[in-house]
Amino acid sequence: MTGLALQFGGSLAAVLALAWLAAKLGLGGDPRLRDPDEARRLADEAVCGFDADEVALDRAGIGALLRDREGRVMLIRRHGVRWVARLLDSHAGVRLDRSFLEIATGERGFGTITLDLGEQAQVWAGSLRRIK
Amino acid sequence: MPIDFKPTDYAVPAFVLLVLIEMIWARRRAPDAYEPRDTLVSLAFGLGSTVAGLLTGGLVLALALWLYENRLFEIGWAWWAWGLCFVLDDFAYYWAHRTGHRVRWFWASHVNHHSSQHYNLSTALRQSWTGFIALSFIFRIPLALIGFHPAMIAIVGGFNLIYQFWIHTEAIRRLPRWFEAVMNTPSHHRVHHATNPVYLDRNYAGTFIIWDKLFGTYQRELDGERIRYGIVKQLGTFNLLWSVFHEWIGIARDVWRAPWRHKLSYLWRPPGWSHDGGRDTSDAIRERWRQRAEAQPVSEA
Repeated sequence: MTGLALQFGGSLAAVLALAWLAAKLGLGGDPRLRDPDEARRLADEAVCGFDADEVALDRAGIGALLRDREGRVMLIRRHGVRWVARLLDSHAGVRLDRSFLEIATGERGFGTITLDLGEQAQVWAGSLRRIK
Repeated sequence: MPIDFKPTDYAVPAFVLLVLIEMIWARRRAPDAYEPRDTLVSLAFGLGSTVAGLLTGGLVLALALWLYENRLFEIGWAWWAWGLCFVLDDFAYYWAHRTGHRVRWFWASHVNHHSSQHYNLSTALRQSWTGFIALSFIFRIPLALIGFHPAMIAIVGGFNLIYQFWIHTEAIRRLPRWFEAVMNTPSHHRVHHATNPVYLDRNYAGTFIIWDKLFGTYQRELDGERIRYGIVKQLGTFNLLWSVFHEWIGIARDVWRAPWRHKLSYLWRPPGWSHDGGRDTSDAIRERWRQRAEAQPVSEA
């Protein structure tokens, strides 16, 4: 039993040391959406065939809202140095505060994101209310 | 032969060292190949899976020993038996792995290994905690009934797992053609971890890629196709426990909500299946992609 505890402790120490080292070496990064085309590409990669007609980029490039011809709305946000996306199926988690749009997808693990959409925030907030 | 000899225990220091070397490579060549929080989750998966293995391994071993007592053939410990056992175990692994992607009950466990959006050596250690619950052992344990000693099966299985460690990397592009033709390689396995429609549900091999070529699931890595790693619906969280159990929770929710006649389908049908057609299986995604590719042909590099 002592041997197992030592093995577990040693492995745990190695796990923490490697994760710490990954941070110390500066691995990862700070990705930003550069333009609407990049958001469109990410949307199509997330849901094959999602052809975005309208795109609203966060002003810092940390996320985006997109709408396709079928009226589907997709939220894209950063996840570490990668991107994740969800199709929005409810307006329940949408809050407008001047140029900021706070969006919760209803998935607790996915979290809430606040996008700075500038003048587009009000327009998108209005249109998102039409999602049932 | 000691029945508790585990090759993976001896390989752990090499795993740590190789992860370290790959991190240094990543710092110079591809800093975003690693994400510290993702690395922590992957390594915690690995540690947790060893604990889960300790808790349930005894039961699997007892079952294997019982099957061995009722074995069909006397194979013993001859040198050729080791080689044959390795090949047959890898064959069984192929089908276990393929089922792990095609049947949601098994996927609920195996999805753990695919839940990272990164592909590096730490991803290799992102092993399931719930393989016993999923009954993943049922594919390989019949080798004991054939007549291979359970210790031999466990040892060759350990070496198979060790082989699969080093192929989880972007640092190696392609290996010599003869090697790529027979063995599973970083190139082949990158395809397996990809979410690109052309790559979905391909390259299930453990050690030998020949199984995929034999059974029609092989896909070579395309030069013009940038790989995206992870799962079709990316998790979007670094929460370890959610990462471990999310698909089991999803199954429970779906079974609870589904009409009675569809409940079992949420266990045995492919991931992404739903009784109202509101979600996509990998087959549906691939078909949609294929139709679009035919309408707008893209040259293959």
